[in-house]
Amino acid sequence: MLSPLQFALLSLVPIGIVVLYFLKLRREPVEVPSTFLWARTIEDLHVNSLLQKLRRNVLLLLQLLAVLLAVFALLRPGQRGQDADQGRIVFLLDTSASMQATDVDGDESRFEKARRMIRERIDAVSANESLMLVTFSDRPEVLQSFTTDRGRIRDALDRAEVTNHPTDVFGALKAADGLANPRRSSELGDVNDIQVADAMPADLLIYSDGRFDEVSEFDLGNLVPDYIPIGTKDVSNIAITAFSAERNVEKPSEVQAFATIVNLGTDAISSTATLSWDDDKLSRSEAFRDAETVSLEPGEQVGLTFTLESEEAVSLRLALEVDDDLVIDNVAFAGLTPMRTVSVLLVTPGNKPLELGLRTEKAAKICIPQDVLPSYLESDEYKARAEAGLDDLIIFDRCSPSRMPNTNTFFIGALPPDMTLLPEDAEEDAGDETAAAEVQESDASDTAAESATGSPEDDSDPTPQNEGWSWATDPASVVLIDMDRTHPLMRFVEVFSLLIFNGRAIDGPPGSVELIGADIGPMLTVAPRAGFQDLVLGFEIVSTDAEGNPQTNTNWFAERSWPVFVLNVLRYLAGAAESSGAPSFQPGQTVQLRLESAIVDAKFRRIGGSSQTVSTGPSGLTEIVETEEAGNYRVESEDTLADLFSVNLFARSESDIAVADDVVFGYETVEGTTGGVEKRIEYWRWLLLIMLVLLGAEWWVYSRRVA
Amino acid sequence: MPATSQATPLLSPDLLARLERLELVSRKVFRGRMKGERRSRRKGQSVEFADFRNYVPGDDLRLIDWNLYARLDQLFLKLFLEEEDLHFYSLIDASESMNFGDPTKLHVAKQLAASLGYVGLCRADRVSVAALGPQGRSAPVLRGRASLWKMFQYLESVESGSNISLYDGVKDFSIRNSGTGVAILLTDLMDKEGYESALRMLVGRRMDVFVMHILSPEEIDPPLRGDRKLIDVEDGDAAEVTINSYVLEKYKQTVQSFIGSIKTFCSRRSIVYIPVRTDTPVETIVTRYLRERGVVR
Repeated sequence: MLSPLQFALLSLVPIGIVVLYFLKLRREPVEVPSTFLWARTIEDLHVNSLLQKLRRNVLLLLQLLAVLLAVFALLRPGQRGQDADQGRIVFLLDTSASMQATDVDGDESRFEKARRMIRERIDAVSANESLMLVTFSDRPEVLQSFTTDRGRIRDALDRAEVTNHPTDVFGALKAADGLANPRRSSELGDVNDIQVADAMPADLLIYSDGRFDEVSEFDLGNLVPDYIPIGTKDVSNIAITAFSAERNVEKPSEVQAFATIVNLGTDAISSTATLSWDDDKLSRSEAFRDAETVSLEPGEQVGLTFTLESEEAVSLRLALEVDDDLVIDNVAFAGLTPMRTVSVLLVTPGNKPLELGLRTEKAAKICIPQDVLPSYLESDEYKARAEAGLDDLIIFDRCSPSRMPNTNTFFIGALPPDMTLLPEDAEEDAGDETAAAEVQESDASDTAAESATGSPEDDSDPTPQNEGWSWATDPASVVLIDMDRTHPLMRFVEVFSLLIFNGRAIDGPPGSVELIGADIGPMLTVAPRAGFQDLVLGFEIVSTDAEGNPQTNTNWFAERSWPVFVLNVLRYLAGAAESSGAPSFQPGQTVQLRLESAIVDAKFRRIGGSSQTVSTGPSGLTEIVETEEAGNYRVESEDTLADLFSVNLFARSESDIAVADDVVFGYETVEGTTGGVEKRIEYWRWLLLIMLVLLGAEWWVYSRRVA
Repeated sequence: MPATSQATPLLSPDLLARLERLELVSRKVFRGRMKGERRSRRKGQSVEFADFRNYVPGDDLRLIDWNLYARLDQLFLKLFLEEEDLHFYSLIDASESMNFGDPTKLHVAKQLAASLGYVGLCRADRVSVAALGPQGRSAPVLRGRASLWKMFQYLESVESGSNISLYDGVKDFSIRNSGTGVAILLTDLMDKEGYESALRMLVGRRMDVFVMHILSPEEIDPPLRGDRKLIDVEDGDAAEVTINSYVLEKYKQTVQSFIGSIKTFCSRRSIVYIPVRTDTPVETIVTRYLRERGVVR
């Protein structure tokens, strides 16, 4: 409303127009034969000349109407109205997954209803109120900072989108709190005191279903909260809160899938849980694997187990065939990582069977071998890669490094170096070891010369020996008598028919496991080493005769079990197969993967979606941030699957969608309100529009020269 | 609004031919001075001696009474009771207000005066066409068809601008012309001093008075709108008026009321009132309107 003075001033405007109308008249002179009759005419009108001038004066009438409308519009007439107490309003809009629930009448979802209610509130507030819009799920986002521009706040509201994320309201409260409650004060005028903004109290309107944890360590301070619950208490929702897949350690080809299903609604629900391959190349019937019916009372939960057969990487999808109020938790995804492509460094003076074994068709799918001579062990390059652990497996054939690398190892006919030596001593020994290696070769050649007889050579081997590892016997012919078939390294391996001309029994360090036993003692032993594993074979595959020519020490390479054993070494020792399932992340989380060092550029995609390129770091570390959608994600390199992971909500608090009656911030409990707004419909815009039309009509009338 | 002078001839040859068949009609019998074709109370050339009158150049010499000349040394005519000529007076209002319209009212007045004057000349009536005011003093008195060119010459010389009132103009005419006859007043009657006195004077002179009220369409229905300052061309008087449809309507009513009052005045005094619009052809006015009103036949 206007003050009396303003009214008085405004009332002078139409009076001024009328006065100016009379004063401003410029009459065009016209000669007439005689003013005799005009004078008579004017004389008749003279009695009420003032009124006659005004009478039927369309122009004046239009101008007066226009001014009156403008004055009226300035008064901002409207229906009712509701002012914010603080003059500032912060809208907190919940965009978490639970806001996708459809238990609202008249709106598509809870989120759309909240958006509509905020829009109505924006229309109802007065023009001089500042508004701010913050959305929150598991992270806050300030879509629009304080503004009085209604258009900008509406645009920001239109940009808001619901997410698949869980809820964490604390960040949003901090954003609002930062403005309302400055943490320190300042002395005005004190040059030594850095001036800070004054506290700006604000109304805090929270449009949410309240499905978030209590925010106990938070003080509202100058924020005046108002919780507007969105949703209902009578809901229907059954959710998958856990789903994973694992390989059977004993039978790597067997995959087991585990799921937890819970009824978080207010009514009993029956549904069918359908398990299928998650593969967009398969039809629905081709992808189907298994199904199970669940019937749950409110609050009841059940666990399901499915068994599948697959040696390859698997992506699974479990879906509840039910139409409830929240659909995002009706589908879950899980995966199993495939055989990893591993990097294998083969250090050998020459071992054709082993080289071929690493390059079979199956081995080639999971292994990238590199062959080097034992002299490579002296290079700085080797030392660097051994230190960095760039290789997944290093095979030392008839040689040993001066220092154990930071990776799994496989020693053939040699022992790991003495780990008790100091690095410099190790280097000295490395030099000795190189010489020793050469001596060993010559010895090997001597051995080879005696290979026909199979008599072991006398040991004058100066090879330094690990404290944990040692030769238990002198070289002798070997007859294999025992084998641990349960160990993954020995899967599908038959060795009892092997001919071994020369070998030594092995004494491993504490914790070592004998895999193959011979008549003379352990012939194949695996032992842990600070997170790694070392496999030691007591006999050589290929040895060297006295002339230095390579010769075979066994016929294993000719047996069917040789490539199988090499494959087992790659799978188990090099880590080409893991038994655990692919990790699951929540929507929106950044996924960090460590890909094989051999992979430089990779592509990832959600099954059913499009591919995106992702680059790997020097250590194979990759970060993927586009994880908004739930599903199975595959990381591929050159059409080979490198890794996979899944994205699932798995948040019981989000699936429990019954709206909360109140929310707790610190020590304050905020009861829910209806959030209804008495709309203030202002007409001033319409009045101004009509005024513009009148001005146009006045111009038209004037131009037609009709007063 | 003033208009340019008319360059067109006053009377077309066709009109002249038609006018020859007309004659002026007077509702009264006047005493003419010369032999005419009208019955008159005056004495004429008949067996019945009526009277003497002074000789006027142009009179018939055979009627001169030589005996009286011998005795009195003055020329007199013997008059006998017989039909006499009619004295026809056309009085033209040449005020500035007549210089309005297209064609101007003055031009139409001249045309009408010429038409009626020609009719009279063809009938050997005594015709006097004169403008009111100083220009009327040089107006010739005409008789006979041969005087037509004099009449046209005089009419051509008449110009607007003699802002003399109707009363003064008629009074001046009456002083210079003592006779009676038919007097046709060609005017717009836009005299702020009024028309009544002038007409009364003519009636008092026992004239057979006809008033041809000449108005232009722009005066009857002015095409004026908006805020105007109307300036009288005769006296410079200004009237500020905002002309809208209402005011215009009132003005038209004023015009009609004015015309109505003139009609009433004229009818009470046996004056024939003839309204004339300048956008009406002269032929139509003379051959139809004037005939209907009994001015000519």
